[in-house]
Amino acid sequence: MILACGCARTVRFAVTAALGTALAGFASGASAQDILLDHGSGREQATLDGARKEGQIVLYSAAIVNQALRPLSDAFMKKYPFLKMTFWRGDTEEIIAKLGAEQRANNIVADVAEGTGVGDLAVGAGLTEPFFTPQVEALPERYRDPSDRWSYTRISYFCIAYNTKLVAPADAPKSYDDLLDPRWQGKLAWRVGTASGTPLFITALRLSRGEDKALAYLHKLAQQKMINFGSGSARTLVDRVIAGEFPIALNIFAHHPLISKAKGAPVNSQLLAPVPSTAGTLVIVKGVRHPNAALLLADFILSKEGQQILADAEYFPVRSDVAPQPALASVIPERAGMPELFLSPDLLNRNTARSEKIFEELFQ
Amino acid sequence: MSLAVALPHTRVSPLVLALAAVLVVLIAPPAIFLLDVSLHETRPDGSFGAFTLRFYRELAAERLFLASARNTVLYALGSSIIAIVIGTAQALIVERTDTPGRNLAFFAAIISLGVPHILYVVAWLLLLGRAGPVNDVIHFLVGPATAIDVYSIGGMALIEGIGFVPLTFLLMSAVLRSMDASFEEAAIMAGASPLRAFSAVTLRMGAPALCALALLFFARAFESFEVPALVGLAGNINVLTTTIFQAVHRTGMPSYGEAGAYSVSLVIVIALLLFWQSRLTRHAHRYQSITGKGFRPRILDLGPWRYVGTAILVALFLIVTVVPVAILIFTSFQPFYDGLSIEAFGRASLDNYRVLLGPGSFRDSIVNTIILGAATASFVVPFTALCGWLVARRVPGAALLDHLATLPLVFPALILGVAFLDVFVNVPLPLYGTLVSVIIASSVRYLPYGMRYAYAGALQIHPDLEGAATIVGAPFATVFRRVVVPLLAAPLISTWLVVFLLSVQVVALPLLLVGPGSEVMAVTLFELWQNGQVTELASMGAVWIALMTAVSTAFHLITRHKQIAA
Repeated sequence: MILACGCARTVRFAVTAALGTALAGFASGASAQDILLDHGSGREQATLDGARKEGQIVLYSAAIVNQALRPLSDAFMKKYPFLKMTFWRGDTEEIIAKLGAEQRANNIVADVAEGTGVGDLAVGAGLTEPFFTPQVEALPERYRDPSDRWSYTRISYFCIAYNTKLVAPADAPKSYDDLLDPRWQGKLAWRVGTASGTPLFITALRLSRGEDKALAYLHKLAQQKMINFGSGSARTLVDRVIAGEFPIALNIFAHHPLISKAKGAPVNSQLLAPVPSTAGTLVIVKGVRHPNAALLLADFILSKEGQQILADAEYFPVRSDVAPQPALASVIPERAGMPELFLSPDLLNRNTARSEKIFEELFQ
Repeated sequence: MSLAVALPHTRVSPLVLALAAVLVVLIAPPAIFLLDVSLHETRPDGSFGAFTLRFYRELAAERLFLASARNTVLYALGSSIIAIVIGTAQALIVERTDTPGRNLAFFAAIISLGVPHILYVVAWLLLLGRAGPVNDVIHFLVGPATAIDVYSIGGMALIEGIGFVPLTFLLMSAVLRSMDASFEEAAIMAGASPLRAFSAVTLRMGAPALCALALLFFARAFESFEVPALVGLAGNINVLTTTIFQAVHRTGMPSYGEAGAYSVSLVIVIALLLFWQSRLTRHAHRYQSITGKGFRPRILDLGPWRYVGTAILVALFLIVTVVPVAILIFTSFQPFYDGLSIEAFGRASLDNYRVLLGPGSFRDSIVNTIILGAATASFVVPFTALCGWLVARRVPGAALLDHLATLPLVFPALILGVAFLDVFVNVPLPLYGTLVSVIIASSVRYLPYGMRYAYAGALQIHPDLEGAATIVGAPFATVFRRVVVPLLAAPLISTWLVVFLLSVQVVALPLLLVGPGSEVMAVTLFELWQNGQVTELASMGAVWIALMTAVSTAFHLITRHKQIAA
């Protein structure tokens, strides 16, 4: 915090001014915590009245702009015409960096943040406020956070992708043990440099097989001369598979190959049991300037309408009463008759450091 | 020199002090942040914790450090050599021979600079990748067992090196243009072959400029990210930036300590190189060739060989510009990319362009991007022209300007973005999340480019010209405006264009600085890449390249007009 020392007084002035506007935004003089955790029957009306006075809402999200964020914001503003919604898209790491910087400078811009891994990182860094939304009652029990720190927004399933020109469907690995076949040596790519890449793969193995068996397996996998792909997202790795650069990619989002396959690309998904899954999370930022509008947005994203927009954008909805796109249904473990291993953000976070260490020792 | 004469007993001139103050205000905040982050633990919320030296210890003890350091040096050397050799050869053909069609080389170079680096790298991967057309040809000619592996140090150096050919060419041709060719002519008159005249005269006279250029490219390669990440990491080849990148992202929560320690170490290395270079150019006056007499460069008559010159220029144009742009255009009509085949031509459609024309961030961000580029270039060019000239004239204290303005070269853009985020969110001005904040950050980032260029140009203007103006009573400002600026006009206009084209395509810097409504093009392109929308990326890239070509053409015409006027 370089400038804080140099111009402390001016910063303090700005902070006071910012706080002033923030306080003015609170309709009834109730604290942000009171508003966010209101379970009462008058919640709906109070939130609407409050949001009307706040007039705006800012979302930071990792979702795709054109397919998800823009339709979401358009529909939200259509429903609540008195609110002006703006959004900024960044990866989880960037969202956290921005939230942290805003918090330290007490210059809060974001009201709500959403993305895979956003919840536990933001909560862990003390950047959030607990909140309640009645919409969670429509979610399956395993997709609820008992302590109201975040709410889940969309589910992701992980599996392998293979190029159908280079690997015949009959030959494609069907289990984790098939990956150890010597014929795949030097042909398996996986994504490094992000928590949802190699650490997630290793964590899933450790949790499903136990430490010793997982380690024995990973020692064998290390003989396969894995390709550590660090040049982009899981989606870009699937594109490299389509282009024929790598025959097989591990630990990619299960629906990505299906979307490309529908366009005729030579790629397919193959689930391995158990199928790891994780969820995008939504949090409300500490010191939120528009708490009522933030609640309205959280309610909206979890509502049937909001979830349908996410489903249309080819995400897996978290509500069981909203169906995913039919073309993507085949990778939902329940429908494929495969066991699912749900890695909650807490669980993932607790295990990531150890999994990273294993990766460094065996695969770098 | 006017200032030195006017202020014989002052150690540092007030002008230098004023310029240095501006530089310090711009550069100190991110520099201090870098130092701080390398010496403190970072808490989960991003604030600094306890003091520590562990990042430096870990850097030295990093298991992969030696291997990646070796890879980095090989990669930096390889790519600099490729860029400088090809770019200089091209500049010589264009500036010093009567090769037909040589003026089109500028146009080609400028189109190529308009191709965003990330698209350019993607294009080369599409071409040279395992399923790409180059390997298809090799399989056809030699057999399926032979293939080139682009995911190697050689592949990395080649892509990065070729990518920097246009920049080298533009920089070198500006230097050559303002270098008096009568020395070469004298050598040829005295019986030297053109090759001998080139090596004994041109090369030696251009040595300081070449040196400055080599340093620039070498340092840039040390800091470069796209090629190491897209090409190197896919082949398990780590260079220092990717090792650091992996360290930053190790446990989900970004930790910048190691990256900070790396940057600080790099600053020291570059400072040593700069010191060495400034000793090398101590006798810079020997290289001054623009004197009071007419300096219009003369052209070498190649005779029938001039068509070989044309062939070389055409081949370079094809390799550097046409082929990568063509593969992008091909991809932009595809639903997905899986190599170049007849089957793929059958799949061609306008779908990606249709998406592009629909509502989306593309149109919103174009205006922002053009403002960003123009504002950055308009600040950097005049500022560094003044600094570069003062340094070349060895005005007391001016070496400090050189060192300060070169410093941002070694701040990895990744860290510079984080540093500036911290600065702007804390500044008691409403800058956070605005386009202005991106402009300031990108001005800092491109200072070194302007500086190297202005300095190389100014070195070649003989101070006699300014002296003459001073003697007839022109005040300092008039000397700079009426003598120096016109003589430097050609290089300054190209620098403006170069800074414009480079600053509109940088990704890592604006990533954290933009907020709702201030999105820029490069970030949109990067997100398309991240989301795997390669074909949409290609169509957006094609439109962008067309737009940049239009801007560049306008500039090319202005430059030509300027030359005629001069």
